[in-house]
Amino acid sequence: MSLFQIGGFAFLGALCFWVGRGIRVGRIPRYAAAVWLLLCVIAAVLIADPRLTVLAARALGIGRGADLVFYSAILGSLFGSFLFYVRIRRIENKLTGIVRELAIREALPPSREQQ
Amino acid sequence: MPATPFNARPAGRFSRLCDRYAHQIPTSIHFLLNLLSRMHLSPPTASADDVFVIVPVFNEASVLGEVLRALLEAYPNVVVVDDCSHDDSGAIAASSGATVLRHIYNLGQGASLQTGIDYALRSDAQYIVTFDGDGQHRVEDIERLLQPLRAGTADVALGSRFLESTSNIPAQRRILLRAAVLFSRATSRLDVSDAHNGLRAFTHHAASRIHITMDRMAHASQLLDQIGSAGLRFTEVAVTVRYTDYSLMKGQKNSQAAVILRDYLIGRLVK
Repeated sequence: MSLFQIGGFAFLGALCFWVGRGIRVGRIPRYAAAVWLLLCVIAAVLIADPRLTVLAARALGIGRGADLVFYSAILGSLFGSFLFYVRIRRIENKLTGIVRELAIREALPPSREQQ
Repeated sequence: MPATPFNARPAGRFSRLCDRYAHQIPTSIHFLLNLLSRMHLSPPTASADDVFVIVPVFNEASVLGEVLRALLEAYPNVVVVDDCSHDDSGAIAASSGATVLRHIYNLGQGASLQTGIDYALRSDAQYIVTFDGDGQHRVEDIERLLQPLRAGTADVALGSRFLESTSNIPAQRRILLRAAVLFSRATSRLDVSDAHNGLRAFTHHAASRIHITMDRMAHASQLLDQIGSAGLRFTEVAVTVRYTDYSLMKGQKNSQAAVILRDYLIGRLVK
């Protein structure tokens, strides 16, 4: 086994442990955990036998296995960025709601001397 | 909170009664009562007490006092939404006799308008008017906006600076606003002549059907979208927009048009 494979398996093992702990304490939804574990399995298989990337790349019409990994990483990052953006927008909307509710509850009535 | 007038619309109180005793009323009767409460059974009265004027403000201390003085002479229910101003806008508004709502965090004009609208709805306002705090709008135009609403011919009245040639709009701004109109017509399918005019009037019913989620300047286009999708009857009324050195310096820069477009497109994509 190469040094990269050892390091890769160790990293994936730690990730799986973190995901498992997240499920146990209820911090990570089950569907998200399933996606992460699936990605870990795929990554582990490809690290164990890198030749599989070549087969997959050729099946998809891409020249090299490394290119397939690279393109997949870019697309995955874009998708992940979009999900984060959606989440940030939703958090901003909730923040707006909180600030609004505070403003309404603490409304200053018209000053009596002007009425 | 200002007292509601004696001849307040029964629809507002009726709806609250329905909500309070809903659990005691069979579902079908509750539905019928709610439907009746929204049929605007009592004719609107031509009174300034039934109008809430919402003024979103951010760092307008130099002109705000004058704007509020003119408004309060005509309308007793002026609500200033201070969007976390760094100057004395909040203090000036408080001492002027207006109701002041203050955002503890700067959110944007769209958010400020919705805060004011929510407050007015909770206060049972019959008509809600949005009015800029930078002195560009004239108080006398408010009644022109309210006329079709009081007559029951429209749910929303939108001010337009292009219906009459009474605004001294800089040429570059005019071109951009025309482009905004074309864009708004394409997205909202409403035939408007001025898509970004801050002077608007809503009935209580119309305001309750609208909810601005685009916090900054893209809210203007979102409002048109919501008016269209809610099937609200709207009309345009000629109003005057005064361009002064202060308002041009303070207001939106032409270069912000691209940012507004970006915010609008993303806001439509992400709800």
